Amino acid sequence: MGLIMKKQRNIFRLLILALFFIIVPIVLYNLGDFPKRSFLMDVLSIITILGFSLFLSQFFSTRINQKLVKDIRMVNVLKIHKFIGYLFISILLLHPFFIVVPKFFDNGVSPTDAFLTLITSFNSLGVILGIIAYTSMLILLITAFFRFKIYLKYKTWRYLHGYLTTLFIITATWHVINLGRHGTNPFSIYYILAVVSVIYFLLKTYLFKTSKK
Amino acid sequence: MKESTNNLSRRKFIALAGGAASFAAIAAMGLPTDWALNTTKVDVDSLSFDKIKTDVLVIGGGMAGLFAAVKAHDAGAKVLMVSKGRLGASGQTPFAKGIFTYDPKKEKLSIDEFAQAVSRSALGTNNPAYTKQLAEHSLDRVNELKQWGFFDSSLYNKSFSKPINDRNIPLQERVVITHLIKENNKIVGAAGFSLDSEKIIFYEAKSVILCTGAGGFKPNGFPICDLTHDGTIMAYNIGAKVTGKEWNDGHPAKSENAAACYDGWGDMFEKKPETTSVEIRHDLGVDMNYTAYINGGAAQMGPPGMGKQENIVVGGPYRPEEFNNAGGHQGGKKEGEKRPPRKEGKGGPPGMGGSVVGGSSAGMSIHKAEGIVPINDQCESNISGLFAAGDALGSYMAGAIYTQIGSSLAGSAVQGAVAGEAAAKYSKTVKTASISSSKIKEIKEEILAPLKRDAGYSAAWVTQTLQGIMIPNFIIYIKKENLLKGALAYVEELRDHHLPTLRAKNFHELRLVHETANMIVTAEMKLKASIMRTESRCSHYRIDYPEVDYENWNVWINIFKGEDGTMQFEKQPFNTWPI
Amino acid sequence: MSIESINGCIGCEECIKSCPTDVIRLNPTTKKAEIVYQEDCQICHLCRMYCPVDAITISPEKSIPVIVSWG
Ligand SMILES: Cc1cc2nc3c(=O)[nH]c(=O)nc-3n(C[C@H](O)[C@H](O)[C@H](O)COP(=O)(O)OP(=O)(O)OC[C@H]3O[C@@H](n4cnc5c(N)ncnc54)[C@H](O)[C@@H]3O)c2cc1C
Ligand code: HEM
Ligand code: HEM
Repeated sequence: MGLIMKKQRNIFRLLILALFFIIVPIVLYNLGDFPKRSFLMDVLSIITILGFSLFLSQFFSTRINQKLVKDIRMVNVLKIHKFIGYLFISILLLHPFFIVVPKFFDNGVSPTDAFLTLITSFNSLGVILGIIAYTSMLILLITAFFRFKIYLKYKTWRYLHGYLTTLFIITATWHVINLGRHGTNPFSIYYILAVVSVIYFLLKTYLFKTSKK
Repeated sequence: MKESTNNLSRRKFIALAGGAASFAAIAAMGLPTDWALNTTKVDVDSLSFDKIKTDVLVIGGGMAGLFAAVKAHDAGAKVLMVSKGRLGASGQTPFAKGIFTYDPKKEKLSIDEFAQAVSRSALGTNNPAYTKQLAEHSLDRVNELKQWGFFDSSLYNKSFSKPINDRNIPLQERVVITHLIKENNKIVGAAGFSLDSEKIIFYEAKSVILCTGAGGFKPNGFPICDLTHDGTIMAYNIGAKVTGKEWNDGHPAKSENAAACYDGWGDMFEKKPETTSVEIRHDLGVDMNYTAYINGGAAQMGPPGMGKQENIVVGGPYRPEEFNNAGGHQGGKKEGEKRPPRKEGKGGPPGMGGSVVGGSSAGMSIHKAEGIVPINDQCESNISGLFAAGDALGSYMAGAIYTQIGSSLAGSAVQGAVAGEAAAKYSKTVKTASISSSKIKEIKEEILAPLKRDAGYSAAWVTQTLQGIMIPNFIIYIKKENLLKGALAYVEELRDHHLPTLRAKNFHELRLVHETANMIVTAEMKLKASIMRTESRCSHYRIDYPEVDYENWNVWINIFKGEDGTMQFEKQPFNTWPI
Repeated sequence: MSIESINGCIGCEECIKSCPTDVIRLNPTTKKAEIVYQEDCQICHLCRMYCPVDAITISPEKSIPVIVSWG
């Protein structure tokens, strides 16, 4: 009996996460009055947006989310965390290239030229933020993958990881709001709410709960 | 031989042209922007100006401008290129996809036979010197284009930039030239303003090559809304002779969303360019306008030229027997064949399927059949140091009707190169060019006047009114004297009472004002030349003079500004150079 | 509505330069391309074709009355 209840509670917690970080963006995507693009480009957009919102959810698949940890044990939490982390980092590494995909299907500007213009448009704050976010994401990936090989104390690594993610999430969110073709008000408010709560929880854990650990 | 056209009183005009008048009234309702106070934010009095010196100034960044700049540079001149829009992305060049190449190894016709065939289709209106020049040089130009990567992309800015950058030719884009400057009967430069730096710029140049393209009345359905015959009118204003205003380009547009140039042309704008070879036709005059006029407009047009019986009309523009086979009566179908093949399905070209409307290129003549009158085959005008090439030169290369497919683009390349070399050579004979400070002051005033006006008419409103007067089928396409005169009275009203009071509140509007002024002068030229040519031939159709008149009208009409500032006309017999 | 919207602009100015009729300008504060003179759009799609990030949406209707030869 208790076991079933616990299972339901587990599922319920995960469902809330899924609702907030998967369903909400999809709903916003469909409610917004965005210019129609090709099916391929719409799919790529959704993948990018979901990748980003799931990064936000990463904060809740760690020790920060103590209730979840209690419910499904740390190993399982980390399984989810690592799976989403590695999968979507890999996908989002391709995101700048996704943006020039339409250039493969016409005879105009070549994809290479378009890409070079894109990553050299330093006129645009959004592009600079994107590049910073991209770099920190790359470092995040490398330091995560080689966390046992880089001779850091586990605690130091976690701090590094935590600070990198904070830098990443702030620049990335700003980037998305500044540049995103779907960066209308509902989306922006959603991102800001998510980031503010994420950072609140993170700081709470770092600043007040470190001793408890 | 001079002829002047009579003016009409306004009242008489209204009686004559109720139709045109009501069109204008409808047009005027569209925009709530007639006479109003000017809300200039530009501090006109503190505007500075730049002065730049060069040997050869090339105005225009299309196909003609490209070759003019490159060849003038290669002939040893210091060149500067300036364009209202972007290199390879302004004027008509970006939209043309077929370029003619005469390859002597592959063609059955010799160059002389080619020129004769063009002449037969053009009913003698072509200038064989330029027709042959086209064929002689086209292959060389096409090969150069190939090297620069022209055929690798549907967009031309990159390939056009290559030779310009390789040679370090300075290039200024988004600069609107408004004045050519002549002193002591010689060209000394030009002036205009930059849309970005919001400055006036004076160019001191030993010679100027106009590669400013053709133009129109900012019509709907043909991508020429940035072209208003600026070069032609600037040159006319300093005494150059101008020709070809009575001819008409008869491109139709789809009646649904007629203004959508891109959609009207299927996916053509997305295609890479291709070459075409000898194929002489008699295309895109006003045959379809005539059909619409007789049959009553769009309702009965059906798919034109597709063999629909009820669309065959009797009479109309004369088409030489030899060139009659080309698919029925209309421009539409031939249009499809004129350009490189396109993808199926995605909406045909204008005139193929669906109903069509006329006037999409209103105000434009046949390419190369209007513009500055050349005094020889070196693209030279009657003003020392002033050259013109491409659509800005009235070379009559292909005659007063479209004859050779793809020759317009090739002709601009060929003539650009010829003019570039000739201008470089000329500039060596001139010591220096300098613009006097009195001229600078005068021209600065003229350019900025619309910004200084406290109130005035908007360029947008005057343009729409002009469109309402000129574009109806029964005005510039199917012409008759009384309606031409009626429209002329209207245009003269715009010239005398609106043009001097156009207002601009920023540099975008300043550009529109100068363009509108040029359109009004062009309209006057078109109407007066159309009244003067009392015959029908090629793309000029007078319903009151429907026959070709070989006896009196084997002549081109030249237009120039008389001593008293009025518009003068003269006839120049075919196959002669002006005296 | 001719040129309708620009979404996901990176401020590279390709469209501004490529527009033959000067419809688009750079917004000096946001550093993004902005449709300023929509009524002058000739619906030629050059801006869209030159845009490296496919940010421009264009519809075939013109925003001001269309004058043609017959109708
Ligand atoms: C839709 C379309 C399809 C066509 N298809 C074909 C085809 O398949 N084959 C073919 O042979 N021809 C075709 N043509 C015709 C061909 O495009 C032109 O004849 C040719 O490109 C003209 O080149 P140009 O350099 O003389 O003038 P343009 O290309 O018109 O260039 C004029 C230049 O002058 C500049 N300019 C104008 N006024 C000013 C000013 N006041 N100050 C500064 N600069 C100014 C403009 O910005 C522009 O750069 C087509 C035209 C169109 C519109
Ligand atoms: C964008 C992706 C990621 C984000 C936003 C993110 C975020 C976080 C955060 C906020 C923490 C908590 C840090 C702390 O409690 O001090 C954390 C912990 C951790 N992360 Fe990530 N992470 C991401 C990717 C990864 C990846 C790819 C791995 C792969 C190994 C990983 C492994 C870990 C581990 C092992 C912990 C420690 C768990 C713990 O002790 O709480 N993370 N992550
Ligand atoms: C890892 C870092 C990055 C993340 C998480 C990220 C995420 C996103 C997201 C979610 C969007 C919004 C998509 C939409 O609204 O449809 C977006 C848009 C965009 N991004 Fe990034 N991005 C990153 C890095 C970059 C980089 C390095 C570039 C290129 C320099 C870039 C260029 C763009 C552009 C041009 C857009 C707007 C176009 C569009 O919305 O499709 N991004 N980004």
